[in-house]
Amino acid sequence: MHNRLKTKFLGFEVKSPLVLPAGIMDMSFSGLDISAKNGAGIVTSKSLTLEQRSGYKGPVVAEFESGLLNAMGLCNPGIVDGLAEVNEFKERSDTPVIVSVFATNVDDFLELTNHVNKSRGDFLELNLSCPNVYDEFGIPLASSKDEVFKIVKAVKRVSKLPVIAKLSPNVLSITEIALAAEEAGADALCLINTVGPGMLIDTKMVKPVLFNKFGGLSGPCIKPIALKLIYQAYSAVDIPIIGMGGVCTGEDAIEMIMAGATLIGVGTAVHFRGIEVFNKINEEIIQFMDENGFNELSEIPKLEKLK
Amino acid sequence: MDKRITLKISKIEDETKDIKTFTFNHKLNAKPGQFIMLTDFEGGEKPFSISDCSENEFSITVKKIGEFTSRLFQKGVGDYMSVRGAFGSSFFVSNGKVLLVGGGYGSPPLYFLAKKLLKAGANIAVVNGAQTKDDLVFCDRFSKLGIKYQNITEAGCLGRKGTSVDLAKGALTKEKFDFIYAAGPEMMMKALQGVIGEVDYEFLFERYMKCAIGICGNCTMDPLGIRLCVEGPVLPKKIIEQLTEFGKYRRDASGKRIRY
Repeated sequence: MHNRLKTKFLGFEVKSPLVLPAGIMDMSFSGLDISAKNGAGIVTSKSLTLEQRSGYKGPVVAEFESGLLNAMGLCNPGIVDGLAEVNEFKERSDTPVIVSVFATNVDDFLELTNHVNKSRGDFLELNLSCPNVYDEFGIPLASSKDEVFKIVKAVKRVSKLPVIAKLSPNVLSITEIALAAEEAGADALCLINTVGPGMLIDTKMVKPVLFNKFGGLSGPCIKPIALKLIYQAYSAVDIPIIGMGGVCTGEDAIEMIMAGATLIGVGTAVHFRGIEVFNKINEEIIQFMDENGFNELSEIPKLEKLK
Repeated sequence: MDKRITLKISKIEDETKDIKTFTFNHKLNAKPGQFIMLTDFEGGEKPFSISDCSENEFSITVKKIGEFTSRLFQKGVGDYMSVRGAFGSSFFVSNGKVLLVGGGYGSPPLYFLAKKLLKAGANIAVVNGAQTKDDLVFCDRFSKLGIKYQNITEAGCLGRKGTSVDLAKGALTKEKFDFIYAAGPEMMMKALQGVIGEVDYEFLFERYMKCAIGICGNCTMDPLGIRLCVEGPVLPKKIIEQLTEFGKYRRDASGKRIRY
């Protein structure tokens, strides 16, 4: 790996700024491992819940010209089995791992945090923003600055790991939500989760393509939305940001950095460019640095913050 | 990009009392071993191996095992189904002396393969096994290809009692083969691996699939992180030999490990 891509993040020095986000290639220790071997600097577990969930019936993904809709339904083997996969991954890799967890109330988040404290995970991510479980759980917690503050604050009191709040793009003011997370003690922010949700229709059978009808939107079409929200959050807070949403190329990653991201998530692009996408983007970032006279990643300028 | 297409069922054939072949008129350009994802948008989208594919049509052969396949068995010619694919890796097409080993309703994709192998000039022997003769599929189709074909059941309904692995073992002690192909229950393939010796081979695997486009991670196999929907479902010997989960466990829809 190129030393020039080394990035400092919450006391860790990672080999690349690219992150495998929650929900991609992360059902098994081997999925995390193959992503790390292909150039991801940090990998994230599936969002784990207290009990196992099978997720929704298919179709769970729908492709269209400029992106992907998905409604997996938070499938995961439950916190105990999920952490066993994380621990097995750590047996064979020195790549840092973010453990993502999902719950709908403070008590469950605290119980999950206690499990994660006993694992070999390096960071704790609070998924406050799954857009696809509305029927079960209502609007995402990340829609309310008060809920975000309450949960982050409570988790910070018990977590032994740095806490990352995963935020939703589907809010009126990302600035307000980002500030609430920071004030509650979040060590970093991760944004954006998928956009919408949206839907697609099969015109012959007159049915929504996704069985859940609605699903979160990802892929190249959401990049402009992601850049805008990351820039707004970056302008408001001092904690580092994992920026993601539609990143497919090195150029996209550079835009994320300029918008204020310290690390960059790459998810849907695994479909478009293969599991090798992390190394491809790493190479493209290096190429950009060569062409523009930057020796280290930290030299790449960021936009001036919004006033 | 968007590979989803909604097609009318053009033909339905009864294979056994709970196995049917569904044919669609569509130029799929599939290779042997590849699969499609099929849905009626009523709940469930499932992977099915392609059992035949010609210039303008393709077929899948389905066993009625659950809610989705029960609904599929209610459909008639002219009813719509939505298809994604073809996905995944395909069998290497040898022109040498080859042995095809099928088990249960795993054997239909081997029929599609056998037709391609014939075209390539391979010398083909097929052994096909199932629990009872009601579970044995494609006997007539294999026989009509004019290749060496033997079948067997565990119940002994056709005289001989045993598995396709027993037949394969017999064939391997009598003759020398260049390549072996197998599709069927995982424990059958695990047993077969034990009797193959030094011969090169490819097996067709099954895991719980959801996205089929290589991102959800539900069908990865340990410890390599092989995605069965992209790098599989057909895997070569050098990969299979490294798979620690082969014959040991698989993951269910939640990702929880289920032991065999």
